Formats: sequence, structure tokens, C-alpha cells
Amino acid sequence: MLTIHLSIVVFLPLASGLIAAFAPRAWARWIVLAGTLAVLGYAVAMIVDFDSGRPGLSYATDDEWIPELGIHYALGIDGLNLFLVALTALLWAISTLVAAFKDYERPRLFFFQLALAETAVLGAFCAQDLALFVAFFDLMLVPFYFLIGGWGEGQRVAATTKLVIYTLVGSLLMLAGAVALGVLSAPAGGEASFLLTDLEAASLPEGTQQWIFLLFAAAFLVKMPAFPLHGWMPDGYRATPLPVLVLFSGVVSKVGAYGFLRVVLPILPDGAQHFQELLLIIAVVSILYGSVLAFSQDDARLVVGYSSIAQLGFITLGIFALDPKGAQGALLQMINHGLVTAGLFFIIAVLAARAGGSELLSRMGGIAYRAPVLAGLFLVVALATLAMPGSANFVAELLILFGVLEDKLVYGILAGAGVALAAVYMIRFYQRAMHHRVGTGVDSRDVRGVELVAIASVVVVIIGLGVYPQLVVERSERATVAKVRPAEQVADRGGEAVAAPAPAASGPAPGAGGVPGSRGGQPVPVGPDGQPIPVGPDGQPIPVGPDGQPVPVGPDGQPVPVPPQPGQAP
Amino acid sequence: MNVDLGILIDPLSVFMALVVSGVSFLIHVYSTSYMASDRGYARFFAYLNFFVFSMLLLVLAGNFVLLTVGWAFVGAASYLLISFWYRRETATQAGIKAFVMNVIGDLGLVLAAFLLFNETGALDYAGVFGATQDTFTENDGTLVAACLLLLVGAVAKSAQLPLHTWLADAMEGPTPVSALIHAATMVTAGVYLIARCHPLFEQAPAAADVAAIVGTVTMVYAASVALVVTDLKRVIAYSTMSQIGYMVLGVSAFAYGAGLFHLMTHAFFKALLFMGAGSVIGAMGGVQSMDRMGGFRRALPFTFVTFTIGALALASFPLFAGFFSKDEILAFSINRGGLYAVLGVIGYLAAAVTAFYAFRMVFRVFFGDEVPEARAAASGHVEHHAPENPSTGEAEDTEVGFPGPEHHYAERSLGMRAAMAPLALLAVVGGVLSIPGVTDTLEHFLEPTFEDSAFIEAEAMPSEGAELAGLAVGGLMAFAGIGLAYLLYLSRPGATLELRDRFAAVHRFLFNKWYFDELYDRLFVAPSAAFGRFGRTVVESALIQGVLIGGPSGLVRAGATLARGVQSGYLRAYALLLLFGLGGLALYFLIAAS
Repeated sequence: MLTIHLSIVVFLPLASGLIAAFAPRAWARWIVLAGTLAVLGYAVAMIVDFDSGRPGLSYATDDEWIPELGIHYALGIDGLNLFLVALTALLWAISTLVAAFKDYERPRLFFFQLALAETAVLGAFCAQDLALFVAFFDLMLVPFYFLIGGWGEGQRVAATTKLVIYTLVGSLLMLAGAVALGVLSAPAGGEASFLLTDLEAASLPEGTQQWIFLLFAAAFLVKMPAFPLHGWMPDGYRATPLPVLVLFSGVVSKVGAYGFLRVVLPILPDGAQHFQELLLIIAVVSILYGSVLAFSQDDARLVVGYSSIAQLGFITLGIFALDPKGAQGALLQMINHGLVTAGLFFIIAVLAARAGGSELLSRMGGIAYRAPVLAGLFLVVALATLAMPGSANFVAELLILFGVLEDKLVYGILAGAGVALAAVYMIRFYQRAMHHRVGTGVDSRDVRGVELVAIASVVVVIIGLGVYPQLVVERSERATVAKVRPAEQVADRGGEAVAAPAPAASGPAPGAGGVPGSRGGQPVPVGPDGQPIPVGPDGQPIPVGPDGQPVPVGPDGQPVPVPPQPGQAP
Repeated sequence: MNVDLGILIDPLSVFMALVVSGVSFLIHVYSTSYMASDRGYARFFAYLNFFVFSMLLLVLAGNFVLLTVGWAFVGAASYLLISFWYRRETATQAGIKAFVMNVIGDLGLVLAAFLLFNETGALDYAGVFGATQDTFTENDGTLVAACLLLLVGAVAKSAQLPLHTWLADAMEGPTPVSALIHAATMVTAGVYLIARCHPLFEQAPAAADVAAIVGTVTMVYAASVALVVTDLKRVIAYSTMSQIGYMVLGVSAFAYGAGLFHLMTHAFFKALLFMGAGSVIGAMGGVQSMDRMGGFRRALPFTFVTFTIGALALASFPLFAGFFSKDEILAFSINRGGLYAVLGVIGYLAAAVTAFYAFRMVFRVFFGDEVPEARAAASGHVEHHAPENPSTGEAEDTEVGFPGPEHHYAERSLGMRAAMAPLALLAVVGGVLSIPGVTDTLEHFLEPTFEDSAFIEAEAMPSEGAELAGLAVGGLMAFAGIGLAYLLYLSRPGATLELRDRFAAVHRFLFNKWYFDELYDRLFVAPSAAFGRFGRTVVESALIQGVLIGGPSGLVRAGATLARGVQSGYLRAYALLLLFGLGGLALYFLIAAS
């Protein structure tokens, strides 16, 4: 196993940005690009080096940061964030490359902000301490505020204000939730800790979990965005410069979905279970509403914007199926969606350059004949977006649907309608842009240069994942399953409160997510399936029933039937 | 959940692969001539080969996931080829329609796979079918649901009711595409699927009954529409739907050998009919309407002979290929009794209609007065019109050179003849593979696949006498249909116009394809477009921007206005405020003290 210091990975972009800020103007872009490429190199090394059989975190860092408040500087990689970090690295490298070939005013500041944004996103993905996660989550807003407000298009000031207020409100709610979590989870008389593993180990009462859940859900749903919290999206997407929008839509929207898996499900399983229906409804409405709006837009950006609402609806659906298959599908779909939106936005840039700068579908058309390369690349991206079987998106949606159908048949079938609608809006988009007669004022020529490199590299990854989705599924399985397990168990018990289970059985510190020895230096025994083995006070494993409850053992070592307790589900 | 890249080779998949690769080879040969002048030549063959790959993947897949991949790839290839001439908006509209309907079918397949996986824990055919007997009782609710979902996939791909509307529009694609994809191979995938999943359908006879009824209804529906449609390619397209209805009835009645036999002979004669139609359309300079055709018998002798052979096989004229295969389905169906006997009788009646519309084409295209194009072709020329979209009459955008500027027909293209001659031969003699009482080569070949079926035992088969009687009835039907067509179109020209005027309402109903397109437009397209408008105007601007954003920001703004109003800067106003404040405080304490 390689020795990789995550702090270097996370802060490398910022360092390159700082150097660029004081370097000669012409150098700034190349310095930042070099930083992003170095991060990409690290990400590839981590994927190659990653051992999917290894429980817990890799390349973990854990130092005390603010001991008075129990805040740690803890970073780590596991199957859950490995590919999100890689997606971040890839899209940042490509976007920075595309931006480097454009002329922006005040380039040093622009590229510094771009680099700062990468550090913030990487930090949010790698953070293993809730306070640190919140800090990076909010830090993301700063560079994007300046990038959209300073270099945006059209109604950028109004759009930025709306975006900032929306996300800031969400962030504040999450901050309150995080503080509450830390304080309320502190053992009586003990000190608070914001380490995710400690928070997972503490089980809060059901009622507390519920309101804290709502605080987090608000922040994450705004970030995605989901219906009806997407009010900032249309204006925000229209105002954002395209290379920045690739990052904002491709990566930043995933931080919200990731937050559900990393923070909410393992720490607030009861809350998640309690609001499962609500979140599933939001997901399904987002899918259907986003799809229908996507095929009634004329603005190409908004076609992709509303389709993102639908796609993120699928991701939410998978997460809140509270089922390992659904969560794995959701994680895979986060990667896929990041790739296809990036491809689509780069393609929109190319299309707009040929349609006299207009991004309206009604002004495009007919360029497929003279731009066959672009048509081919676009076709691959479009088919992947509509989850063509044979693409990784199909695998992801299959997993999501299988996860949902198991317990929530109706939502699965409604979401299925979204699959058909996706075909409508993507084919419509493709045809309006590439087929029919050549629009007036449209200059048909093929894609070349840096844009070709950008789109082609995204397409190569899309095809690669389509052929071998196992790359992601295999490496992410252990961590994802461990994150869903607590909420799944609550759901399987029919929502019965985990009132007072034996501490050993529910203090899960799931093997795959915990920093080994993080609390009391006790290693957590792990079963062959990566699940923690409950240990009795004597250090002997406790037999666990299929429902996760300890099975009482008689003196002869045989399980003893227990009379059902009142108020407990059989 | 574990999915392998599993390939299954058994007699059924070998049979399908042979039909697919054989017919597609001939159609490639045909296309080298037919598409020669088209500027999309390379793209055409790239798509065509992508289709063949996908179709082979579909028939060779060893599990439901790989099947779905092949299933969807075939749909995508079909989409690409339907909108091949993408400068025509009718072609792109047809493409999107076909694609979306096929996605609905894919979805059915995925959901069915889920239900089967959930119950049996397997996704590969061997695992699922092996567990079927033990997992499900007969007509188990879940199994019936799974079979019906499979049927959704089959219906979408095979253009059966109610997901059939895309096939007629798919005729926007080049004619070789219609011959290969929309007649001989892809659209028969639904039949293959039912045959492949026969252990499921036999355990869920209720679902098989539904499939048989769907097939029969489609058979009658499509035959009725084929009576009145005037676009030559669309007549053949409706005929395809109708013939697939026979096959679906066959495999749903568990007459697998018969259904697949008809699939094979149909692939021969229907590909041949489309190739002949392509030749005629070439000679017409791209015109597809039968209203403008006539008298091509002398100008296109080769096309005339081969097309007539195809029509005779389609009409199941005695001893031609379709004669044996169609009657085998119907004899088996009647032999099963009950519902299937009724469906079989309907099938015989539809056979007469089939014979009628088959010869309606022959008589209208090749007989009667020679049109100018026919005279030109007789002297070795092609009448070139200003290029126009055959379905709308709109002037074509010729900037990019497709459809190609030249037109080709069989009499002048070796490649086209080379493809049509073998098919004509097969349409004549293809029936020898299974003549009642003489040969059963095909059934014998397929037996290993269906040996677990209860319906291949000798007692499930109709007796030889019944089969021969069926053949006699089928032959009579063919004679009746052809004779009627002869009467109406050749011996009393103009009789059909009288009929049309007398039954104008019926004609309008049939001509508008029973108004299915209009119905779907009302039910799905218009409401979702309206919902999109509603979402854009009302939800987005009023609710999201107005209430959710406007509400809170309005509140803040109102509060700010209030506070700003108080900060007027006038000393007297502040003094007044102070006074009020003090008064209020005093009042409060007085009340509190009392």
C-alpha cells in the first residue's frame, strides 16, 4: 500500500492557486492546471492502490484540531469517497484545461478561486470529522460566489445572490444540526467529539434524530438540488461560466448526495427511516418534474439543469431505498452523472459557438453532417444520460430500481416512468442540436482542439465504466453497505426505535467506516463480511439473530427462545 | 447479485442466429446497390452492422441482463436507422417515437427481471427456468406479473397492440432497413422472447392467454389497416405486424415449432417483399404512394415475378412457404380447443384478408395502366422528380446528398437481384422444412430447447388429418382473398372507389389506423406538453420563484421598509417615539403592579 498524505492531496490545489496568485499573469493558468493534474495523478494512484477487501479508512489522518470542542482534523478514503475524489480530480483537470484556453479578466484571481474550490470540495469528500466536513462544505460557497458573481454571464448578480442565500440558509441549518449532534452525542459527563465514528457509535433518541435529520436534509437537498428547493438552479445555471458550471453541476451537487451517505444514514438511522417516505416522494417528484421540464425547455443549459434534478432524484431514491443495492446504485450514479453532465456542458459550449453564441435549441440544428465527430461523441453521452443498457448509468439505475422495488414497489414503478421520459428529453435535445435542417446563422464545423480533448476524455471514461462498472461497484461495496446497514436494520424492524439495544450490538462503529482504535484504543472485531461482530463484556462474540438483535444463549451454548416483549415488533 | 457476460448456445439461439445473419447478409448485398449514391453510405453500413451485432447479442444472451442490453442496443440501432435521413423532420419524429416505445419495452424487461430475480435469486436463464417449477405454483401472481412485463417488452419490440404505432412510422428509414429490421429480424424478437421464456409462460398460462389474445387482436387490426393504406411500404409494415400477430399466437399457444417456423418463412418472404417495394420505389424515383403507381409488370419483370412470389407466400398460397407455417400455427391452436380454437378460427379469417391485401399491392402496382415512370423504366430510364419527402410532399433538403440523388431498381442492379433471387427461392421452397406427415426437420432441430415443455408430446400435436384439413381451409382462404382482389381491382376497376364512398366512415376509421395516434396524442403527448408549460409558467415562476423565494425575501424587505421608515432622522419623531415608549412602559408597570 502506498503512503499518500491526504492533506497534500487536499491542499495541493490551494497551494498551486496561491503560487499562481503571485506568479506572472500568463503563468497562473498553467500552475493551477499542473496542480489539478497532480491531484488527478494521486487519484489514479489511489484507485489502483485501493484494496477493496480492507475495512476502514485508507490514508487516514487524525489529529486534534480544536481539542476544547472535540474537533479533529481527520481525513480518510474509503470506498464511499474514493471515486468521488477521482471524479473531482478528473473534472477539475479537464475544466481547468478548457478554462486555460479561454481569456478571463483577472486570470490570477480566477484560477486561484478555481483552485480554492477544488480544495474545498476535496476536503468535504475526505473529511471524517463532522465539524471539518461542515467547514469545507461552507468553504465551497466562497470561491463559487466569486466565480459566478465575478465572471458570470447575464443576470449574474441576482443569480449569485439567490444561490448564495439559498445554500447559506441550508448551510446554517446544517451547522446547527452539526453542533446539536456533537453536543447531544457527548457521553454524560464526557467530552464532545465530532469524529464521525464517535457520532455513529452514540445512538441518539429517535425524536432528536428526527429534527436533526431535517436540518441536514434541507442543506443537502438544496445543494443537489431537489424539487421544490431548486429555485436557485435556473438562474444560477444560466449565469455560471461553462467550465465552472461543469464543476458546479458535475461535482458540487454530489456533495449533498454524498452527505446523506456519509453523515446522515449512519449517524441518524432512525431519522432516516422516519422520513424515508418523505424523501422518496421528493425523489420521485424530482424525477418526474425534472424530466417533464427538461423536455419543455428551449435553453440547452436548462435541459441539462432540469435533467440533473431528475438524475439526482434517482440518486436520492437509491439512497433512501435504505437498501445496499440502492445505495451502491446511487453512488455509481453520482459518478456517472458527474461525467455525463460534464460532457453535456462541454458539448453545449461547442454548440453555442456554432450557433452564433446562442444556447437556445431553436437556434441550433443540422450540424451532424459536417461535424460527425461531435455527433458521435454527443450520441454516446446522450445515450449514457438516458441510461442505455450497456452504460454504467444503466447498471446504476438497475441497482437503484432493484433496491427500491424490493420494499417500495410504487416508488420504483413511478421512477421507471422517469426512465422513459429521460429518453424523450435526451433524444429531443440531440435531434434539435444535431439533426433537422441547418439553423439560420449556424456554422457547421466539427469540434477540435482543447474542446475535443475535453469531450473525448469524458467519453472515454464513460465508455470505460460502461464496459467495466465493476471497477466502482467492487471497490465501493463494502463501505456503502456499511453506511446503509444501520438505517436498513431500523427499516427492517418496521421503524421500531432502537431504544436500548445491547450496547455491543448497536454501538456499531461499522468496521468499514471506523478509524481503527479511535475510541479507547479498542480494535473492533470484524466478521468475514466486514460487519462488526458484537462482543460481549467478556470479549466473546455474541450470536446475532438475522434482525441484528443479540440472541440470548443458554448455558449449553444453544440459543434460548425469548418471549416477545410488549411493544416490540416480532 | 452477479451477472456474467454469459452466452447461451442452444438450438433456439442457433436457429435465430442463422435467420438473422442469413437475411442480413442478403440485405447487405442489396444495400450495396440500393444505397450506392447516398452520401451517408459508410454511416449506413456502420449502423447496419451495429444492428447485426446487437441482434446477435440479443439472441445469444444467456441471462436477462445481457438480453436487456442486446434488446436496448437493437432499439438504438433501429432508432439510428429510422432517423437515418435526419434532415427530414418526419424521420426524426418517427425515430423518437420508436425509441421511447422501445424504452418502455426495455423497462418491462427490467421489471420482469427484477421480479424473477427476487423470487428465484437468479438472473441467468438456466437458474431462473430451473427454479420456476419449484418456486411458483401454476398462475402464481408474481409469475403472471413477470410474464406480463416480459410481454410488455415483447409487444414494444414486435409492434403489437397497444405499443404498435411506431412501426408504420419506422418506414421513414431506408427500404433495406425496413426489410432487415422492421420485417425480418428485430420485430420478431418478441416472438423469440416468448419462446425463450416458455418455461415461465407454461407455468403462467393466464399470461400466455393474454399474449395469444394480443397477437390475434393485432393480427386482425393490422390486416384491416393494410386494406386501405396507400403507402406501399406502410402496407407491408402493417402486414408485418399482422404476421407477427400469428407468430405471437403460435408461441403463446405453445406451438413453438410452428411459431418459429413462421418466423423463418416470414423473414424470407417479407424481406423479399420489401426489396421488391424498394425496387419499385427506385423506379418511381422515390415515390411511395400506390395511388401513383401502376402497370410495372412489363417494365420491371424481375421485380414483378419476385414480388408476386413474396405475395403468394404471404397469402399462404398452397405449397409456398407461408402456406405450411401459417397453417401449422392455426391447426395447433384449434387443436388446443377453448379460447385457442376461437383465436385459430379468427386466424383463418384474417388469412383471407391477408391474401386480399397482398394482391391488392400486386394488382395496383404491376397491373393496370402504365404510369409515366413505368414507361420510362421500360425504356431503361428512371423518372427523376424534384426530391421530396414521400410522407409529406415537402421539398427535400438535398444539401448533404442523402437520400442519394440516384435511384436504383433491381432490373438495372446486379446487387439487388443477387439478394432477391435467393430469397424468392426460399419463399417458394422454405416450407419443405415442415410438411405435415412428410418432414419435421425444424421441429426436430429445435426439440432440445423445448424438451421440458409439456406441449411437444405427440398427444399435444394436432393429428395428421386435422393438419391436412387445416391446410385445405387455409388454401381456400388464400384463393378467396386473391380471387376477391382480382375481382375488385382487375375485372371491375373502380369497384373499390365505389366501396370506399359507400362505407366512407369505415374507410376513414381504418385509414386513420383506428385513431391510435390521435388517442395517444391526447392521452400522453398533449398532457405532458401541457404539464411542461404549466411547470414552466406556473410552478417555476409562481410557486418556486414567487412563493418560495419571493415570500421570505418579501418578508425581509417589508420588515426593512418598516425599520427604515422609523429611522426618519427627524428629532421630533424620535422624541415622540421616546414618549410613546415611556408611556407604554409606565402603563405596563401600572398594570403589572395592580
